[in-house]
Amino acid sequence: MSTVTRHAAIPTAPEARPPAGVALLSVRDLHKTYRLGRVEVPVLRGATIEVREGEWVAVLGASGSGKSTLLHLMGGLDRPDSVAGERHPIRFDGRPLSEMSAGELDRYRAESVGFVFQFYHLLPELNVLENVLLGAMVLHGRFGYSRRRGALRARATDLLASFGLSHRLSHRPAEISGGERQRVAIARALMNEPRLLLADEPTGNLDRETGRRILDAIAGVRGGPARTIVMVTHDPEVAARADRIVHLEDGRVVAGSI
Amino acid sequence: MASPYTARVYQALLTRKYLTTKVMPLLASLGVALCTAMVLITWSVMGGFLRMLTESGRSLIGDVRIVWPNTGFPHYDDLIARLEADPEVEAATPLIETFGIITLPDGRTEGVAVRGVDGPGFARVTSFAETLWWKPMAEPLRKDRGAEDPRLDGRDMWRRLYENGLTLTRPDPETGEPKAAMVLGIEVTDFNRRTRSGFYIPMVIPQQTAEGGLTHADVFMPLQGELTLRVVPLDSRGRPRDVQTRVLPVANEFESGLYDIDRQTVLVRFDALQSMLQMNEGLRLAEDGPDDPFAPEEREDRYEVDPARTTAVLVRGRTADRDLAGFKARVERIYAEFAAGHAGEVPTPSVIVIQTWEDANRTMIAAVKKETALVLFIFSFISMTAVFLVLAIFWAMISEKTRDIGVLRALGAGSWGIAWVWLRYGAAIGLVGSVAGGLLAWVIVTNINDIHDWMGTSLGLYVWDPAIYVFKEIPRRIEPDKAAFVLAGGVLSCLLGALIPALRAAFMNPIRALRFE
Repeated sequence: MSTVTRHAAIPTAPEARPPAGVALLSVRDLHKTYRLGRVEVPVLRGATIEVREGEWVAVLGASGSGKSTLLHLMGGLDRPDSVAGERHPIRFDGRPLSEMSAGELDRYRAESVGFVFQFYHLLPELNVLENVLLGAMVLHGRFGYSRRRGALRARATDLLASFGLSHRLSHRPAEISGGERQRVAIARALMNEPRLLLADEPTGNLDRETGRRILDAIAGVRGGPARTIVMVTHDPEVAARADRIVHLEDGRVVAGSI
Repeated sequence: MASPYTARVYQALLTRKYLTTKVMPLLASLGVALCTAMVLITWSVMGGFLRMLTESGRSLIGDVRIVWPNTGFPHYDDLIARLEADPEVEAATPLIETFGIITLPDGRTEGVAVRGVDGPGFARVTSFAETLWWKPMAEPLRKDRGAEDPRLDGRDMWRRLYENGLTLTRPDPETGEPKAAMVLGIEVTDFNRRTRSGFYIPMVIPQQTAEGGLTHADVFMPLQGELTLRVVPLDSRGRPRDVQTRVLPVANEFESGLYDIDRQTVLVRFDALQSMLQMNEGLRLAEDGPDDPFAPEEREDRYEVDPARTTAVLVRGRTADRDLAGFKARVERIYAEFAAGHAGEVPTPSVIVIQTWEDANRTMIAAVKKETALVLFIFSFISMTAVFLVLAIFWAMISEKTRDIGVLRALGAGSWGIAWVWLRYGAAIGLVGSVAGGLLAWVIVTNINDIHDWMGTSLGLYVWDPAIYVFKEIPRRIEPDKAAFVLAGGVLSCLLGALIPALRAAFMNPIRALRFE
C-alpha cells in the first residue's frame, strides 16, 4: 500500500509541501533507538523533516510511531544516535544541536523552545502564575530575574489574561479544569518568547470542545514571536488545523508528506 | 549566556514550596532537630562537667607549680621574692607535699596526702578560700529549695570557722591562742553526709570506748575535732627518719569538687608540717655520703645549718588565663636565674619539675576528655541516622517528583541546577532542623536542673544525684562555638543525605522523567 495513497484522503491538510523559505528546524536522517533491557527498539529510523520559520506543522502518526521521540529530539531533550551518513541530523536555525554542549542545549530549550505536553505537567506546588513564570526563572539568573521581575510578571499576567485565566493566577493546578491547565501550560511555554513551540498531543487529554479551544489558542500564538509550531498528534482532525501535515510511520516520515 | 552556576530563582521557589507544603520534609527536619539537640545537650553537659572538673583540679594548684618532691629545695623565700617581683606574677606561695596517716576520733586510720600550706598565701595563689566549706552563707544552694543548709542560720560561728580555715589555726580552748590546725577534705572523715540538695550535714561521731565498745559523740570536727597525724621526715638525700606524730585540731574542711582530692587530702599549716618533716631551718647532722654498712662505727659527727625547704612553690599569673604556656616559660626563666644564684644548693633548671595546672591534671583531664569524645562519637554516630533519614525521604520525594524534574529539564534547567534544587532543599531542611534542635537544646540545657528536679520529684529518677556526685548542679551553659559546630554538622548531614538523591535527580533521563507515571 502506498503511504501517499493511504494519507491522501486526510481532510483539510492545507499544504502537502513545505513553503519556500528558510528552514528554522531541519531534521535529516534522524535515528533513535531505545534499549529495553536486552532488546534494542528502534524508534526513529531515518526521519527527515524541515520546518520553515512561521510554519505550523502537524506530525501525524499512530501510537508508537516515534512522534514524541521526534519532538523530544527536536527540543534537545535527548541526543540522536550516531549513524554513518548525516553527522548533524538536527539543525536549529542552521546550527547543529549535536554540536551544542549540555549547557548550550539547556539554554536552547530555555530560550528558543517551548514545550506543551499532553498531560500539562504543571508543578502542583506552584500556583498558576508561578507555573508560568517558572520558565523565566530558569532562563534568568537571580539578579537577571530580579531586575526584570516586574516586566516578567506583567508578561505572565498578560499571557494568562489572553488565555482567559486572569481570575486563576493564584490557583493551584488541582483547582482548575483540564482545559485551563493546558492553557496555563501553553502560557508557560510561551513565557520566554521561544521561536519554536513543540506541542505533544496538546488536546489528547481533553474533550473535543475544550480541545478545539486549545487549538484556537495555539493558532492565536502564531501572531507572536513563537510562530513556528511543531505539533504531534494521532488525531487527523487536530492535525488538520496545522499548515502542513507530516506522516510518521515506523520511525520514518512517509514519503510525499514532507 | 548566564553562568550555569548562577543561582536561579526557581530553586529558591521550589525549596520554599517543597518545605512548606509537604509533611515528609518536616519529619526529616524533626529528626535532624532531635539529633542536633541530642548531640548539643550531650556536648554541653559533658563539656560542662569537664570544665568543672578541670577548674576543680586547678582550684588547689594555681597556674604553675615548681616541684622538687620528697626532699624539697631550700631558699624558696628568695624564689618567691624573685617570682613576685615579676610583673606577670600575681602571687607565689610555698607548699609541702607528703604522705601521712591520720587517726580519726572513731579509731580509724587513713592514708592521706598531706599538704603544708601558708593559708593567706595559698588563698592568694589558689581558690582555697572559695573551697572552704564551713563559712557563712547568705543564699541557699540552688537545689536547696527548703534552705536547710546549716550554714544559713546566720550564726557568727561560721565566720570564725572560715577565718580559722583561712589561717589554718584554731584557738586553744583554754588560752585562746591560735594553734596550728588542719583543714580536711570534706570527705576525709566520713562524718559529713552529703544531701541531695548538695550541702553537707555533720553527723554524730562514733567513738571507741576504753573497753572496746562504741559510743557516739556529738562532735563537729571544725569546732571540737582533733586528728592524729603521722608523717615520715626525709633527710636531704631522701632517706626516712623517725616517724613524727602530732595531734592537730581541725580548723575547717574544704570541697575542691574532685572527689579524690576531697577524700584523700588534708591541709596542715605550713610551718607545722615543715617542722614535723624537719624541713625547717635547723642545725642538723651533716650527711656525708650514702649509708655504708661497712663503715666504722666511730666517726666524728659534723653538724651544719640546714636551710628551710619546701617541696613546691605555686605561682599565680596575671596573664596565665590567656597564655598559660607563655607564663610557664616565664616562670622557667625566673627559676633558671634563681638556680644560677644558688648553684649547687637547689635543683638545676634541667631537673626541676615546672608544670602548669593542666600538666598536673593531665591524666585526669585526658581521661574525661576521652570519655566526652567517646560519648560524642556514639551520639554523633547515632545522629548519622539523620543522613539516612534525609536520604530515604529525598529518594522517595524524587521518585514522586520525577515528572517535575522532566518538566524543569524541558524548561531549560541544567543537570546541576536540578541537583542544586535538592541540595538546597536538603540544606534548608538541615538548617530548619538544626536551628530547631539548637533552640530545643538551649531550652533543655538552660533548664536542665529544673527538668532534673522535676524528674526526681515526679518520677523518682535522679540521674545526677548530688548526694553521690560532687557536682552540686548539672552544667547548663551552651558554648556558642560548640553550638555553631553542631548546627553546621546538622546542615552538613542533610546535605550529605541529599547528595545521592540529588545526583539521581540531576542525571535522570529527562524523557523518561516526562513519561514517568
